[in-house]
Amino acid sequence: MGLNVEKIREDFPVMKREIHGKPIIYFDNACMTMRPVQVIEKINEYYNEYPACGERSSHKLGKRVDEGVDQARESLKKFIGARHTKEVIFTKNTTEGINLVANTIDLNKGDVVLGTDREHNSNLLPWQKLASLAGTKHEIVDPNPDDTFSIENFEKKMSRDVKLVSIIHTSNVDGTTIPIKEVIKIAHDHKALVLVDAAQSIPHHDVNVRKLDADFLAFSGHKMLGPSGTGVLYGKEHLLKKMPPFMVGGGTVEDTTHTNATFDEPPDKFEAGLQNYAGIIGLGEAARYLMRIGKDNIQKHEIALNRRVTDGVGDLVDIIGPNEPEKRSGIFSFNYKKVDSHEISMMLDEMENICTRAGAHCVHSWFNAHNINGSCRASFYFYNTPEECDKFVDTLKKVIDVVK
Amino acid sequence: MICIIALVVFGILGIFSAKYRTVAKEAFDCVFKRITLRKCTTGLDKRMKSQITGKFMRKHPGLGKVLYKHFEAISWIFTIVLILSLGYSAYSIGNLFIYGNCNGPIPDAFCVFDPFVSGGHVESCSMEGITGEITGVLEVHDHDPAIGFPDAKVTIIEAGCFLCPYTKEAEPVVKQLISHYGDQIHFVYKDFPLSSTHPGAQEAAEASHCAHEQGKYWEYHDLLFVDQNGADFDHLLNLAQQLDLDIEQFSECLESRKYKSKVDGDFTEAFSIGVYGTPTFFINDQIIVGPKTFNEFRQIIDSELFWSV
Ligand SMILES: Cc1ncc(COP(=O)(O)O)c(C=O)c1O
Repeated sequence: MGLNVEKIREDFPVMKREIHGKPIIYFDNACMTMRPVQVIEKINEYYNEYPACGERSSHKLGKRVDEGVDQARESLKKFIGARHTKEVIFTKNTTEGINLVANTIDLNKGDVVLGTDREHNSNLLPWQKLASLAGTKHEIVDPNPDDTFSIENFEKKMSRDVKLVSIIHTSNVDGTTIPIKEVIKIAHDHKALVLVDAAQSIPHHDVNVRKLDADFLAFSGHKMLGPSGTGVLYGKEHLLKKMPPFMVGGGTVEDTTHTNATFDEPPDKFEAGLQNYAGIIGLGEAARYLMRIGKDNIQKHEIALNRRVTDGVGDLVDIIGPNEPEKRSGIFSFNYKKVDSHEISMMLDEMENICTRAGAHCVHSWFNAHNINGSCRASFYFYNTPEECDKFVDTLKKVIDVVK
Repeated sequence: MICIIALVVFGILGIFSAKYRTVAKEAFDCVFKRITLRKCTTGLDKRMKSQITGKFMRKHPGLGKVLYKHFEAISWIFTIVLILSLGYSAYSIGNLFIYGNCNGPIPDAFCVFDPFVSGGHVESCSMEGITGEITGVLEVHDHDPAIGFPDAKVTIIEAGCFLCPYTKEAEPVVKQLISHYGDQIHFVYKDFPLSSTHPGAQEAAEASHCAHEQGKYWEYHDLLFVDQNGADFDHLLNLAQQLDLDIEQFSECLESRKYKSKVDGDFTEAFSIGVYGTPTFFINDQIIVGPKTFNEFRQIIDSELFWSV
């Protein structure tokens, strides 16, 4: 069953906008997605009807907040297939989720954290920092000669010292997805834990933490229709229980004395201070919206769009990653000769309001290793249309004609 | 180079709105780096290049292409134009401080006749608020003081006031015109005394005709402009003495107001066709209001000389 994109687009107020008399073609979904009216209304509902604090106040408004947050946690639990709502910690983004783990997991001098060669800075710097503070090591799995993820190299890297595999599921540079289930299996066989950076996978594919047996999984709400500055860290309950809190303060404790504290159970232990209630409640709605649409439908649609663009201009540009669109999910990342990707991106924007992103996409390490100066990236989502792709192809050809 | 333009433009916009200040800062950073022979790292130059090219591409793909290829050269040209126009603006602003207008030493100001001044209004000596329209040309009469060749192709009639600083200001140009064109022109001076703002202007005009009677009109005319602070009887007499005029005849002429009707006649005639201030010049049927440069006069006179048969 295909998606009724026309109807879906009616849910997104921003798609009715025009700039300079032209509609907006939004192809920067890997950075942030647009928000449907259902999510916006949920946020407004909080501010209009019960803008109070949660988990503390027993008045009617406070209760209503608790209900909203509980409902959202329940939706997110379902969304990722967690066993229990205790395993769903609300954060402000993927970055915070990863930092939370890096700051609380029990790693010691000499322990190795393993990642790929294309980790987002958010899944690189926390481990570099830990290495410099705690003497751990951050190591990298070399890719195949064709630059794809190598499960063999990964397995080879799995020494006894590897205690954590913190790994990107779907790359925001080229859109490739690693065989995460196998990775987790191999890691567990070697008694290592796995933290999945699911920022780019959760919005597009079915990700079920139980089926994958992931130990931790972090993602952002704003890349999946949710409000800005929202995210989730999933962690297995028994692991979370063992971990000390990251940030401490109000909301994390059962009781304190002037010298001591008894901490709450997860997830409260990890949610310090008053929370972004409107965001959390909106994120719950976003998860429900995506579950209604269905990830399979989303993936099929995106790949079809990616194929259309790849067929249209794939021969003219250098695509980052494999040529086959099926392997790149909703990402079409490219360079034209040595032309600065920012120039191309800005011309697309000026000419036809086509929003793309240029630069290193926060994965400088990969670009530096390949001596490439960034790329221009178009990233699709389920509300994009074939017509938009045609416009993109057409405009990109015009840009190429100018800069060639 | 585009960064220099950006720096100036956004720098000025930044004075008024904070939203442009970051761009201005970037532009500054960029210019500074370029001056110290480094690369502009903020990418501002590239950003402007692609945005501007993109804007053109929307309408004229060909133009966009040219712009993209020659962007550096084109921005150099604009930079130079910008610097020149900035220089000119600075000059104008300087003028504004020194002279109160942008164009330098009060070229357009002149003395205005305000019929309402007696009603207690303050009369000004500038164009402000005046939108007079002159609907005719003055005629030359037998006794009008004149220089040059009466049958010349070009007649220049000046309606002036001896106590008006702008009439005085026009004097050197008038002198220059007379010496430059000689017999090619006929220059005639008519009185338009603005007595309400310049008390004594009427008497000064009458006195000039008393000097005319003794054959020293132009000498007296020139002396009247030397000191415009007033024109009481003693002052007028004193000027006559300087020119060795027959004082008895002169003071008798002045006291009896022999030329009052002549001066009144000049004024009424000019006023009736809409002259509203001094100096006003009629070059055949073309009109110049206020002091102008020699070149401005010359353009009109030359074309009149050329075209009139
Ligand atoms: C793969 C990946 N990981 C992590 C992040 C960081 O997400 P956030 O900035 O929302 O924390 C991103 C965002 O671009 C991403 O693409």
